[in-house]
Amino acid sequence: MNAALSDRIALRALRRRAFINGARTISPGLVALAIWGIVTGVAMVKSGLSVTAAAIMSLLVYAGSAQLTAIPLLVVGAPLWLIFGAGIIVNLRFVIFGAALQPYFKHMPWPKRLFLGFMNVDIVFVTFMGRFGSAPQKGNTEQLWFFIGATIPCWLMWQLTSLIGITLSASVPESWSLEFAAVLALMALMLPLLKTRPAVISVVAAGVTAWLTQPWPLRIGLVAATVVGIAAGMWAESQIAKNAQPGSTAS
Amino acid sequence: MINQSWYVYSAILLLAATSVICRTGYVLFGHLLPLPDRLQRALRYAPLAALTGIIVPELLPWHPEVGPQVDLRLLAAVIATALFCWTRNSFLLIASGMVVLWTVRWVFPS
Repeated sequence: MNAALSDRIALRALRRRAFINGARTISPGLVALAIWGIVTGVAMVKSGLSVTAAAIMSLLVYAGSAQLTAIPLLVVGAPLWLIFGAGIIVNLRFVIFGAALQPYFKHMPWPKRLFLGFMNVDIVFVTFMGRFGSAPQKGNTEQLWFFIGATIPCWLMWQLTSLIGITLSASVPESWSLEFAAVLALMALMLPLLKTRPAVISVVAAGVTAWLTQPWPLRIGLVAATVVGIAAGMWAESQIAKNAQPGSTAS
Repeated sequence: MINQSWYVYSAILLLAATSVICRTGYVLFGHLLPLPDRLQRALRYAPLAALTGIIVPELLPWHPEVGPQVDLRLLAAVIATALFCWTRNSFLLIASGMVVLWTVRWVFPS
């Protein structure tokens, strides 16, 4: 009885610690999210969406890049299938992210997996995999509550700043270049991940691909850069493993 | 102004569907097609590569007609990166990048 009670208290303390740890680790990313939220909110209203439609879009879609991609299509009255297709392409990276997250959530009932999957955004994934990507045991309590602790502030920050952007869209001057702060914030998430040589090679390959594929429409270049970056990282990893093996052909 | 509200709200619902499909598809049905270990290791590079794919076109834009465009944002990003490598401070990276951009624009107004 007492043992069960203390177990429960210990579990609750573990959850709280993991939640706070997740929230604290994501906090630099919240700056990126806040800026993107304001930029997206401003862009939605300035391009002609009503305040109500913009607020509903932010609440239901919860994907800045897809929203920003859809806006010019909506303005020209593009067919709905094209808007859907563009949304799928811009969100394709989440399929890759979902595949990486799946081992951490596979033991849970489907409504929870649905919720956790939907709450995954770029910075949560980057932060989570940076922390637990090479964990030997996948799917423990600490990882789950770290993930929840990272997602909740993101969701709140996104909705709050989108609403601020929607409300203030008329009075944010373009000379502030707020969108550049968002780029800097993304760099603040990327640079700490450059810990190994395969990671550096992966970034160089992805960067060159992203640069060359810029004229491609609908951000397809982002998919190409992701694929090439993964391939380059894997190749570098296997080369290093081959060279480290005693008796291999490489000298 | 975008007027047809049925059109806008249908588009919003379809976009919400793309978020749900792409984000939850593998988490919901992944157990039906398990990932080999090699693929899991490969996916560790996905966030790094995707972030690079977002950042690079922002810093080094070019267009088929105009060619490459170098602007102050690249300079600001390079200085901010150097400061980050020195201090490992994320907030300093963001703040210094913005301060460099604003200062240089203020000193050399275009």
